[in-house]
Amino acid sequence: MNTDTQPDTANQGSMASTDKPLMRITDLAVSFDNGKGPRIQAVDGVRLSVYPGQTLAVVGESGCGKSVTALSTLRLIPTPPGRYDRGTIDFRLGDGRVVDLLDIDDGAIRRIRGNDIAMIFQEPMTSLNPVFSVGDQIIEAIELHQNVRRAEARSIAVTAMADVGIPEPASRLRAYPHQFSGGMRQRVMIAMALACKPRLLLADEPSTALDVTIQAQILELLAGLKAAHDMAIMLITHDLGVVAQNADIVCVMYAGRVVEYARVDHLFAHPMHPYTRGLLECIPRLGDRGDRLVTINETIDRPGEFEQLPGARDGVRPWWPWHDPPPDLVRRDEPAGDYALVEIRTGHWVGLWRTAALADAAQGLPDLAWTRPESTAHSQGAQT
Amino acid sequence: MVGMVFLALMLLVCLGSLPWTTSRTLVPVLDQDGQQVLDTRGQPAFSRGPFKFNQGDPEATARLSPGWWPWKDREEKLRLNRAVDAQTVQQIADEHEASTADVLGAIEGPMHHDLKRHWPRFLLGTDTLGRSLAVRCLTGGGISLTIGLAAALLSVFIGTVYGSLAAYAGGKVDAVMMRIVDILFGLPYILLVVLLAVASDAVLDEHISREKTRYRWVQSTAASLISSPQRSATRDDVRAFLSLQFEPSARFQELALDALTAEWERDKGQREETPRRPVGADADTWLSDFETNREMLAAAASLTYPPRKISEGRRTTYDVLVLLLAIGGVSWLTMARVIRGQVLSLKAQPFMEAARAMGAPVHRQLLRHLLPNLVGPIVVYATLSVPQAILQESFLSFLGIGVKPPLPSWGNLAAEGLAELNPYKSHWWMLLFPCVLLATTLLALNFVGEGLREAFDPKRARR
Repeated sequence: MNTDTQPDTANQGSMASTDKPLMRITDLAVSFDNGKGPRIQAVDGVRLSVYPGQTLAVVGESGCGKSVTALSTLRLIPTPPGRYDRGTIDFRLGDGRVVDLLDIDDGAIRRIRGNDIAMIFQEPMTSLNPVFSVGDQIIEAIELHQNVRRAEARSIAVTAMADVGIPEPASRLRAYPHQFSGGMRQRVMIAMALACKPRLLLADEPSTALDVTIQAQILELLAGLKAAHDMAIMLITHDLGVVAQNADIVCVMYAGRVVEYARVDHLFAHPMHPYTRGLLECIPRLGDRGDRLVTINETIDRPGEFEQLPGARDGVRPWWPWHDPPPDLVRRDEPAGDYALVEIRTGHWVGLWRTAALADAAQGLPDLAWTRPESTAHSQGAQT
Repeated sequence: MVGMVFLALMLLVCLGSLPWTTSRTLVPVLDQDGQQVLDTRGQPAFSRGPFKFNQGDPEATARLSPGWWPWKDREEKLRLNRAVDAQTVQQIADEHEASTADVLGAIEGPMHHDLKRHWPRFLLGTDTLGRSLAVRCLTGGGISLTIGLAAALLSVFIGTVYGSLAAYAGGKVDAVMMRIVDILFGLPYILLVVLLAVASDAVLDEHISREKTRYRWVQSTAASLISSPQRSATRDDVRAFLSLQFEPSARFQELALDALTAEWERDKGQREETPRRPVGADADTWLSDFETNREMLAAAASLTYPPRKISEGRRTTYDVLVLLLAIGGVSWLTMARVIRGQVLSLKAQPFMEAARAMGAPVHRQLLRHLLPNLVGPIVVYATLSVPQAILQESFLSFLGIGVKPPLPSWGNLAAEGLAELNPYKSHWWMLLFPCVLLATTLLALNFVGEGLREAFDPKRARR
């Protein structure tokens, strides 16, 4: 599970075929109404990009803005209370046109939902409508976006169910969600999402509600389907084990901002931001002896943690909302002006304070077309 | 289960018999000598009599107790004997080799027993006007159940649409819509029903009589007659003109011809001989009768806009419809609240978000994903609001606002029965039977509603 031990294969990763990003989020900010209090800034200047065929893992603790980012790409944030403050989400459609998902009209975004971008949710128990058979729901998803007759849609649904490993798909079409187990329901959700062959799949903690063996099966399934359908996956999770095994690129978020963005092997080998190190250190390791586990706070509060970046002597400091800004902070006159996402090493972006050393640095746009080599994608092949 | 069976039976009997009970009786047509007239095919001719539920002889059969009731006095038995038709009496007389007078006078013995079998119309006794209470209870049941079911359906429909729209829209729209419901809740519903019923009655009356239309026509015609391009007539001018002495002029001649033509057109085909088409001379003779301008214009108006003719049955149907709308129109409030609550909780369910993520348009989300999940509460509240609507109808009829006599409903039957309750001789059957029918039906409906609620309630384990 540890990618620390793969430096030899790391550089053999293949570049994605098209070299053009599938989706590129620039400076996205979403806030929510908070009654009489100030608006809650759930996402504040997120920048990231996804390439075709890539798995981008978005990692972070609860409330850091992972899900809001994902929901924003489908424009599913209810407004009000939500509001898209600024930013663009450029998505490359199947015909090569690039559209800003935040800017197109309701009909256009509806055609994209489920068709170009599909989503699977955390709760397979409640994400299916209890009063319809699963077949009806998959067929509905197909009929919404494809101009097919019902019999045809039915056969597509059967194929989709078979693809996700549901035995006897034809007869299971008539079953209702409550007749399925949790793992099977998540498979149905995936079948529903994949029925229209989307090019980007948003998986919002797809395995969190499942037990560990089913989790592994579902992730295995997603990886296989990704390869078969040549789509990109935006995997939202807080499980670093899942990240290490499945992701190509990792994007660590905290408090609505990206704090680190890098290839999965680079990130695990050389975590740059203290928060990332904290996350990694609090994973218990087999064979470690000790009375207690390390907490994130212990890592972050350690003296010197914030002074290890290249250029630390010039005053380059990782951004951290709970610390006082460094004395030489240069606050730009723009939203999120105290923060800069900078490519601190080739292919490794870190969220930094905009100190004097970085006063003129442009906001970086993380952009990595790398995918992990085929052999490591299915390192432990649990057959489905 | 018992409730279900009883209800099904009640519905079948009451609604099934409605076409019969609201049909007309057939009365033989008699000539001056009391002989039955034959129609063109040589069959005895009949004319349409009163409605079946309204059929009875106020003198001969008024206030008869139910046929099977043993404690009858001599006078009542004699009257009952006379209610049996002459042919049957003759038959019994032949069997017993007695005269028809003897048969009619028998109040004991085998002849009486034979007669007794022919009192089925008096199964539940008769009312103050000698009409069969059994038939009236059947009709009343049909009317009450129809109003109850239809009003409940209407209220469920309005409530569902209103509630789900409010919840789906959310925010300020939701708040305003729900405050409207709160305000309507604050008003006494009887007041609302009475207001609605009275207002719609007035509209209906105007539609039939067309008095306002005629008045407006007279005013505007008078105004156009005296207006010149330079100056339009004031109301005082019109009033003065209308009270002036009448002098036929070319303009009046035109108006008279128009009015006569309108009447001619209307009567075409209704009279046996085609009326002569009016010519200028007709207008002259017609105009010669009037003394003031007002009289002439009023006469022309009543020819152009005569009161609409409307059959008794249709008028009754309108009345029932108005009552139904009034009851349905005020009892959707609870439904709207319940549905709003349900939609609010369903809206937050992940499967609704999944539907949105799938790209389903709004109407599809509402109709295909929300509504089927609402069927449970809708069915339960619909069943529970049917007895409520029936009760409201009966209550209003009891107060004299609802169904108007002679059309019976359980409510006004009970009201009539109550009026007949007195210490000298109480005609108990007139109060008891409508009340028992009403009460058992309501009970059955409530049982069914309760059963459905239990069946749809996921929290309660099924037995």
